Amino acid sequence: MAAAWKFLGTGMGFLQSSLPVSRQAYRSSLGVVEQVRSYYVNWRMLRDVKRRQMAFEYADTRLRINAIRKNTILPKELQEIADKEIAALPRDSCPVRIRNRCVMTSRPRGVKRRWRLSRIVFRHLADHSQMSGIQRSMW
Amino acid sequence: MYKRLLNIHQVRNGLIHTRLPSTKCKEKERFAPVIWAMGRARPLGTSSIFFSENKESSTSLSEDNAKRPEENEANAEVNNDGQKNTKINEGNNISNAMLTSQLETEPVVKPEDSKKLDKTKTGKESLLELLGAMKVDVTTIRKVRPPKIPRISERPDPKPMESVQSMFQHATAEVSQQRETLNPTLVAAASAAASTLPNSRQAESELLQQLRKHEAIPDTQRRADGQNIGDIIADMKVGKKQNARSNARPGSQIRFDDDGQGYTRDRGITGELDAVRTRKSPFTSKRLNIFNAGAEQDSLSVLGPTLWDINLANQIVQATNQTPRNGFEEMIQWTKEGKLWQYPINNEAGLEDEASVPFHEHVFLDKHLDGSFPRQGPVRHFMELVITGLAKNHHLTVQQKQEHIAWFRDYFQQKDNVLKEAEA
Repeated sequence: MAAAWKFLGTGMGFLQSSLPVSRQAYRSSLGVVEQVRSYYVNWRMLRDVKRRQMAFEYADTRLRINAIRKNTILPKELQEIADKEIAALPRDSCPVRIRNRCVMTSRPRGVKRRWRLSRIVFRHLADHSQMSGIQRSMW
Repeated sequence: MYKRLLNIHQVRNGLIHTRLPSTKCKEKERFAPVIWAMGRARPLGTSSIFFSENKESSTSLSEDNAKRPEENEANAEVNNDGQKNTKINEGNNISNAMLTSQLETEPVVKPEDSKKLDKTKTGKESLLELLGAMKVDVTTIRKVRPPKIPRISERPDPKPMESVQSMFQHATAEVSQQRETLNPTLVAAASAAASTLPNSRQAESELLQQLRKHEAIPDTQRRADGQNIGDIIADMKVGKKQNARSNARPGSQIRFDDDGQGYTRDRGITGELDAVRTRKSPFTSKRLNIFNAGAEQDSLSVLGPTLWDINLANQIVQATNQTPRNGFEEMIQWTKEGKLWQYPINNEAGLEDEASVPFHEHVFLDKHLDGSFPRQGPVRHFMELVITGLAKNHHLTVQQKQEHIAWFRDYFQQKDNVLKEAEA
């Protein structure tokens, strides 16, 4: 739905203006999923991205199973079974394995959460006045 | 009146529906043949054009018969643009009277002569001749404002009078009974009309002069259908208004002093301010009522784009190169994809449908428990805790809450034997 929406906004404009179709950038017709290849900084960043996606998928399941595990009302047998179930889930589905890396350099340490940037990149951008609202402080 | 109106097929404009409250029925009858010509001649968009048209009619009349002036005058009166146009007609009369006196022409045609030529020609031909013989002098007449002076009338006016022209007509209709000096209503109307023109005193005097002449004509010779004012118009010639912009040079032309050094005209803000003031927007003039309000819409816009249209749009998008040219387009693209939030920040960005869900569906979730959960026992206790937690959660939709409960239902049904063993 979102993908269709992405096309619709730009496409309808062209549809009504009836521009000729250029052949240089021809791509496959609608219905075939393209492999969009983009570049992450390194493989570690890519793995981190995969972990985040998987954690998003299994978030609800993990929450429910943990709700069964972490109470005192249900019988312990049930809770043990729940323990085993959650251990059987794929390892990358747990959110603990996510590391907040720098978005630009994939640096695992020294990353400020608000900007998702490592300290070096943050300093670089701020000194070139490309960070809105950031200025050198002195007091 | 209306019967006669409909007989004339040339009436195309929708602006013809006569509703001047002060005119009498017999006066209206003669409007009919004229309306067509008025409508056909030119679209009555701007008062200036109308004014020039009026002048056309008036100048040609001076050469031709006086029948046209009557029709033209009636035409002008009947026009549905109402107050403005009637005032302009009045203003036309006044200015023409003024200019006539300036040019020192005598009123040639008398109303007696005009009567004999009545009905010899249709309104169409007469006005065609009218327009053909006209000399056009387009002037920029500013919009006529409603009369500011209070109306002085001896008799109580039964209906509210919109315009000076209607006042004038009312006065002329009733003054036929009084054959004395000028009617005070007439005087009031004349002064009001004259006040709208630049040379108000001169215009007023001229108008009153014309009125006196008009009154002097015996009543028998005067036709009730308003040839009177038409004759006045017939004699009038069109003159040029003093052009306030005669000094305007093209652009900023360099002028030279004696010493040879050029200087450009000093551009102040006054010129722009004047332009701003006198500019007519399409929304200030009166409605023409040509089109019906709420015209039909395209079926496409009502139904929305079909699936084929969406498919074609997608194909076009994928075929052409859609990379954004600048950062703004990039941000637009990201917003459409969902990568970027929509500004101004909406906390309920993806949750528009949730606004219509009533609160009791969020809070009272016990009914989901009643079906397939045991009524007593640890499971029930656990589920009631779950229900309480979900009821207090502001960030979940009703659908998500129901999914949670459904998952637990399935889970406990699978683990049924384990539970029974644990109980035992």
